[in-house]
This record gives sequence, C-alpha cells and structure tokens, in this order.
Amino acid sequence: MRLIVCALTMTLAAAAIAHGETQPLPVARPDPASAAQSQTPSATRSDDASAAPPETQPAAQSAALLAATGSPTGLADSAALRATVFGTPPQDMAPLPETVPLSEINIALPWANPVPAVYWFDRKLRVWFSAQKKPAPLAIVIAGTGGDGNTSKLSILRGALYGAGYHVLTMPSPTFPGFIVSTSSTGVSGDLMQDSRDLYAAIQQILVHLPRRVQITDIDVLGYSLGGANAAVIKSIDATTDKGKLHIHRAVMINPPVSLITSISRLDKLFAISIGSGDADIDRLYRQLYAELANLYRASGKVELNEGFLFAAAATVLKSDAEYSAAIALSFRLNLVDMFFAGDLYTGAGVVVDPRHPPRVGDSLENASHVLRGMPFSEYFSRVFAPYYLKHRANSTSKSLIADNRLDIIGDALRDDGDYYAQTNSDDLILDKRELQWLKDTLGPRIVVYDHGGHLGNLGDRHQVADMLEMLAGRWNPPAP
Amino acid sequence: MIGRYCSVWIIVWSACAAGLGGCATQSMEMRSLPPEKPAAENAAAAENGAELAKALASEPARAGAKERKAVPLITPADAPSMATYDPWGRLNRFTYRFNTRFDEALFLPIANGYRRLPLPLRSGVHNFFGNLGEVDNIINYTLQLRLVRSLRSAGRLLINTTFGLGGLFDVATKFKLTSAPTGLSATLATWGVRPGPYLVIPLLGPSTLRDGIGVVGDFGTSHVVDIAHLYRGDLSWYLEGVNLVDQRANVDFRYYSSGSPFEYETIRFLYVRMRLIEDAGLYRGRQPQKTPPGVPAGE
Repeated sequence: MRLIVCALTMTLAAAAIAHGETQPLPVARPDPASAAQSQTPSATRSDDASAAPPETQPAAQSAALLAATGSPTGLADSAALRATVFGTPPQDMAPLPETVPLSEINIALPWANPVPAVYWFDRKLRVWFSAQKKPAPLAIVIAGTGGDGNTSKLSILRGALYGAGYHVLTMPSPTFPGFIVSTSSTGVSGDLMQDSRDLYAAIQQILVHLPRRVQITDIDVLGYSLGGANAAVIKSIDATTDKGKLHIHRAVMINPPVSLITSISRLDKLFAISIGSGDADIDRLYRQLYAELANLYRASGKVELNEGFLFAAAATVLKSDAEYSAAIALSFRLNLVDMFFAGDLYTGAGVVVDPRHPPRVGDSLENASHVLRGMPFSEYFSRVFAPYYLKHRANSTSKSLIADNRLDIIGDALRDDGDYYAQTNSDDLILDKRELQWLKDTLGPRIVVYDHGGHLGNLGDRHQVADMLEMLAGRWNPPAP
Repeated sequence: MIGRYCSVWIIVWSACAAGLGGCATQSMEMRSLPPEKPAAENAAAAENGAELAKALASEPARAGAKERKAVPLITPADAPSMATYDPWGRLNRFTYRFNTRFDEALFLPIANGYRRLPLPLRSGVHNFFGNLGEVDNIINYTLQLRLVRSLRSAGRLLINTTFGLGGLFDVATKFKLTSAPTGLSATLATWGVRPGPYLVIPLLGPSTLRDGIGVVGDFGTSHVVDIAHLYRGDLSWYLEGVNLVDQRANVDFRYYSSGSPFEYETIRFLYVRMRLIEDAGLYRGRQPQKTPPGVPAGE
C-alpha cells in the first residue's frame, strides 16, 4: 500500500503545481528591502524588454515582460510572481471555522453530449455543497481555469463563506475536462458567454434537486480568475432569464481577466520566455528539476519521498523569477492540453485525434499529450475554437470572437447595476494597465485594488476575505482615497 | 473460513452504511463526506511552515558538513528519459480502470466512513500496523547493510511495543527515533535491481515489477515471522482488512479527480521518477546507475 501512498503524494504535489493550487507554502514573505533589491533589474530593464535576446537572461526577460505588459504600477516584481506561485501564507489567513460539513453532488445533465469512450469517468458533473442547518443565503463559487469544484482555493473560500453563515456551492471551471464532458453543450471551452450559459443551466438543475431541508434565502455568485468573469456573466444571464430565474443578488469577481485572449497570450509569452517552445526546452526543464530534486533528496538523508519533503523542496527549487514564471506558465499549459484534447475530439478538428478513429479505452494517449504540450493557446484558437464558433455564430469573424471574450459584453451591467463587485491586485499578471483602468472606470467604487498579491496570491488573507464578505452583504464602503 | 465470510459481510455492510449517508434522485446523487477542518489545517500548515523555515535557515550550515561533500551531485544529464518503460501498458490501463471502479464503489466509501471515527482511535490503528511493520524494516535494513537504521527500527519496535502499549502509541518518535519504513524493494534496489516494467497492481495501484515483488516479499516475511500469531487464522483476515482501510483513509487521492484522460500517463510518469529518486537516495556516496540515453525510464 505504500506504493499508492507514494504515487499519490507525488501526484498531489504535481497536480497542485499543475493547477496553480499549490498549498499556501508557509514561508515568511521576503522582507521589502530584499524584494526591492531583486526587482531593480526588472524595473530598469523594462524599457528595452524586446531588445534583450530571450535565451541569455530568462529571469530578467520574464520579469521585463511582466513589467512591460503586466504591471500597471511598474512593479513587476519577484513578490508578485512568488505570491502567485505560493499563495497566502497560513499566518496571514483570515479566521476559518473549526468544522465545515461537506457533501458531494454528482448530477447527470439532460443536454449533455454523448460521452467519448476515453472520458468514461466524466459522465456526471461533480460539485461540492456545504449546507447550513438553518435558512441562509447561498454563495455559489466558480473555480479558475482548469480547476475542478474542490480546488484548495475553493476550499479556502468555502471555509470563509460557511463561517460567515452562507450555504456554499463550489463549481468547477467550464474549462475543467469533467465539465466539458458532462455539462458543456459544445465541447469547445473558453467562450465566456457560452460557457457561462452552460454553467447557469447546470446551477438551475442542481438547485431544483437540492433536498428540501436546505432553505435558501438569497443567492450570490463569486469566482476567482476566469471563474470571476463567469460569475459576473451568470448574474447578467439570470437578469434576462424568465424560466427558472434564480434571482441572483450580488456577484463578486476575484482577480478576473478583462480580455480572456490577451490574458492567455500573456501566459503563453511567459511560457516561451521562461521555458521555450520546443520539445528540447521542455526536456531541459524536466532534467533540471529532476536533478535538483534528486540532489536535495539525497542530501536530506530521508528514506521516503513524501508530501512534506516535496513542499519543502518546492520552496528550495523555486527561487528565481525565471523559476516562478516557469511554474506558472507550465501549470497553465497543462490545463490547456486538456482543453485542447477535448475540443479536438468533440469538433473532429483532427489536430491529434483522427476523427474517423477516435481513441478507445486502453489506447495509449502518450503521443497526443506529447504533441499538445508543445502547442500554445494561439494554436487552440486557430485550429479548434475559431473554426467551431465561426461556423456556429452568425456573422462572426476571428476579431469578433476575440471581442466576444471581453468583460465588455456585460459592460453596461457592470457599470449600471450596483450589485457587481471586484477585487484585484495592482500587480496581477493577467491584467495590463489599460485593463485595470477599465475595471476601475467601469465599477467605480465597487472595486478594491490591493497593492500586492500577484494573481490570486492573497486569496484567503484577512483583508481580502473581510472585504469580500462586506461586498456580498451589501455593506461595502470603499476606503477613502 | 468463517472469518473470511465475516469480513466480506463487514465490507458489504459498511458499504451500505456509507451509501445511506447520502440521498439520491434519478439524475442527482448527494453523498455526505467527512467534514473539513479548515482552522486546524491552517494551524498545522503554519506550524509546518515554521519548521520548514527553521530547516531552510540551518541549510547552509549543514551543507558544509563533511558528509554532504561526499555525495556526488546528480547532473541534468543523469536524469532518466521522459518516456517510461511500460511494455504491459494495455493491461495496466485496464487494471487502472478496474481500480478506479473498485475505489469509487467500495474502497473509498468505506475509507470515508472510517475517517469519521475519532482521531485518537485512527492513529492508534495506524501506529499499531506501523509497529508490526518494524519487523520487516529490521530485516531489510540488515540486508541492505544499514545496521544503524536496523538498530533504530529494533529500538522503535521495543519501545512502542512496551511503553506504547502493543504499538498503539508511537512513543519512540518522542525519543527522536522517527519512523523510517523500508522494504524488500528497497533492498533489491540497493543491490542494483532496476525498477523494471511499470505495473498497475489490482487494488494497490501504481507500481513496478520490482515493487510488486517487494510487496509480495514483505507480506511473506510478516507471515513467516508471524509476530504474536497475528498472521494466522481468521484474525489475520480482519487485520489485513483494517490495515487496507487505514492505509486508504490516509491517502488523500481520488481517481480521476483530474477529470483528464491523461491521468494514467501523468501518474506513471511521476511514480517512476519518484522511485528513481528514492533509489538514488539509496546510493548515497556513490553515483546511481545511469539510464543510457534513449532508453525509457525504469528499464
């Protein structure tokens, strides 16, 4: 049985990194002085970012990239990357309840597409639910790109919300393979409006089937990262729905993207700069990580490679901006591999799956994963996403598809309806200056922008949670400027 | 023989009990899980963090030690290929699928029921089986010629069996004799046996041929030594059952929670790399065997 223990520990750690769900690694934050020091090169290099050859100084390059495109305040610093990788340190976490009851819900959705043979395990949508014993408002929380309905980030939000008296329903991202197979009406994930419609329909079904003892007084939606954008769009869909209207009250977006495509291209660029593009580059990264881990393990004198060792090792192995960038970029790429494969299979695009001979249970998928991990999002867009939506959406062009995937599509609602809120960070890597400004202009006093945290690196900390709860309760007062 | 039927009956009964924890409509099924303990988990994470920070702070001091210099470094060129030796892939994939179904239908519901028992009871069970395992550790550390480790395991066995009330409490850890399990597979690795083909074992999961032989060998050793006659007769069936449930309950893993059809490849990749790194740890002081370029890892 130790076999399982070992393998699974390893998988957990890898999955954690792969889904950007690294357990908040409990290391003290670097002191501001040393952080400032380490960011100096990136700040000074940001002007000539495009001039430096990528292979010579990957660390400076990726930092420069972020400085040039990512950080509106010019603080494209190690702290932002580091926070993004390791998350909120436990000592900064908001107070969490002792016990949170938890149930798992598996639901078959009537509109689901036939399930391809290789996805035999994804027939039903799986979500998680924590019920209060008395009548209470319901908070629906949606995961970020590639996340299932029980990521560690969702678990943190669940604890905070349950502790504040909400029933909590946590949902996977529409880009999670289990969602694509069980719930998506298209099989092609990534379209903000279509994915949110599918999510909304699934939520309607789940709420109809909840046991009678669960008494819901009000409904709010939240989400982090891409899930934040989904949450806002779901509220706008609800506002125009007649049949089965849920009367969603408030929506809170945590570190949302403004333009899906630009945010993703930024992560692709990060991949190209911190890792490379070819097979040889991925192989080099793997060999380097392997050697570092093996040497650490040998030096530790331990007899088991377990979770504790891996978390300790992560803090040692991931130290430079280039390494943080590689971890962030790789985790996104591994999610993309799954979206790409599903889309290819459902649309018959023929990128790695022969549409006439789809893979069967027991077939090796090694070649498919090998090819896909070398492909950026632009390939997914041009070979799977755009061909599908150009065919199914009248009068659309590649350009209009990009525009469809901006929060602008609900811009009026965000501007005029006082029940939309957002929380983000001035150094969030998925936003550029203009995008952050757009959020500020559109939401006015209903957005709070923290100085630090990178992308989701402060999720669960005291301020973030306290402000989120104020927003949900409609008591939010923006801090005086 | 009656014991065997009884344990089957217990398993069926527990599965039904676990199933009753939820309710189901035609299209939706709701199953209650063990509650989360966020406050306690966060406190534990903070504590681990403090320890880790301390360990990292003392790292440079230890790095200067003589022992550290004696270990030749592994270079990126020494890393095994990204491909994995899996000549029995088709069979393995079917076994992986079988394990998934078994786990969802029976193993995991029972383990979740077990997780609701009070923590002191569960850690007592866990310590008890860990203590029985020390016999196998003593033998294998001896065969690996790591006599200090062997003595430490013997010390643990002695202390925990007496002061730890038959192994229910891990008193030895308080005397800085921490648990360090080993087994036949590690012994074979010490003497140069490679992991061999990747192998998914029914019920137990990811493994290699060498690890599979190790599992059988370790079980055989316990059976032959037969400490306190626990490995004979009806009692052994109950004990093995409880041991399996305890092991499963201590692993926070759900088959296909990744939702990904590449899960088999991912786990295989990680498992074999993890074993090769553990093997490299056994070769402290000398360079581990290198996999020639182009040869898949494990062969």
